[in-house]
Amino acid sequence: MNGPRVFAAVLGKDLRLDLRSWDRLGPMAVFAALVMVLLSTALPTASAASPGWIPALVWMVFLLTSLLGLGRSFQAESEQGTIVLLTQAPCDRGWVFLGKATANWLALLGVELWTAFLCWVLLDVEWGVAWPEILGVGLLGALGLAVVGTLLSALACAARFPVFLLPVLLFPLVLPVLVLASRMTGEALAGDQIASAMWVGLALYDWVFLLIAYFVFDYVLED
Amino acid sequence: MNVIETRQLEKRFGTVRALDRVSTTLPEGSTTLLRGPNGAGKTTLLRVLAALTRPTGGEVRVLGVNPFGADGAAQRSRLGYLGQETALYGELTLQENLEFYARLHGVDPDRIEFLIHELELEGVAGRRVQTLSLGYRRRAGLARARLTDPSLLLLDEPWNGLDAEASQQLTHWLEQHHKAGRSALVAAHSPSAGTGLFDAEIRLERGRLLGTES
Repeated sequence: MNGPRVFAAVLGKDLRLDLRSWDRLGPMAVFAALVMVLLSTALPTASAASPGWIPALVWMVFLLTSLLGLGRSFQAESEQGTIVLLTQAPCDRGWVFLGKATANWLALLGVELWTAFLCWVLLDVEWGVAWPEILGVGLLGALGLAVVGTLLSALACAARFPVFLLPVLLFPLVLPVLVLASRMTGEALAGDQIASAMWVGLALYDWVFLLIAYFVFDYVLED
Repeated sequence: MNVIETRQLEKRFGTVRALDRVSTTLPEGSTTLLRGPNGAGKTTLLRVLAALTRPTGGEVRVLGVNPFGADGAAQRSRLGYLGQETALYGELTLQENLEFYARLHGVDPDRIEFLIHELELEGVAGRRVQTLSLGYRRRAGLARARLTDPSLLLLDEPWNGLDAEASQQLTHWLEQHHKAGRSALVAAHSPSAGTGLFDAEIRLERGRLLGTES
């Protein structure tokens, strides 16, 4: 069983690199903080007066911040030539994808927590109202972004203009995540019950793209 | 048995034919020089054999299997590939790079210590790769390619960036690899350091096979 070993090796390596260099997490954290400060000063009133659009705003900030980190995921491998090592892993290359996507997911969860903290401080958003639901939405939403973002990051690094290509491909594909996660977060903040169809929709999106990415990754890694 | 077999192998990048119907074989235990000028297709051929680039036509078998088929994945640990880039993570130490590759392929960690000692890398094993000179990075890349004790080595311009002592060391080690009955295909346009090492030569030019000499 080479697959689980390859998954663990890739995940461990990516986490070690993230925590050592802060090449990805640092710029993401600074970017999120800057945008939130700008929003908190530019917005006319406190969030509590208009909670309807706050979740969409937060998820947009999170999406834009994620883009910085997701883009680096394979760009760094490509620049150092280390993508060869991943391509030569002695198993189905889908396991490499799972390792990279899990590392990205964990990085995005860290950024999500940071963004939530900034929202609480700067926009007075009370996450504690329905924290289990919000945690669930955060986990599933970040998973969707990580899965699609990891796949597209690998695709984009082979292109001539990866910085341009990644957002062009990512934004339309993650629109369902953005819409569902924003609405679910809004309902949770308003104290309403989140419809089960929304949970199923978000989980299904993650699962379908996870399967697609796992099976096409073999071809994505090759030239 | 042949460790490499290609039949009418073709690789196109748009309208450019990097490999043009290349048919050749490499018998088990041979150390073969892959020779040709810049742009001849040497790197592309090595990348196809290492399953890094999918061919657009023809057939390829490496160590008895199609590297792009269902059995290809299991064979990757029997193959050592070193391209023109050393493929090491700059932020990790040399030791950590080798540990990652060993974990990827399920290699005993003792072999890392053995290779670090053999390639005289003890003094720099704990340093981040981005702080090492090109020569040390090339040596570290070689250690990485040899970590799985591969049956077949695919090396692309391996003498580039090595000083005289390290070049001799590489040549000596390739001789040992040959004596152990293992195979190697080494791409080089001027392999002065490896003179006398090769028992066969494959010549490529503009993607075409010009000839094979033994």
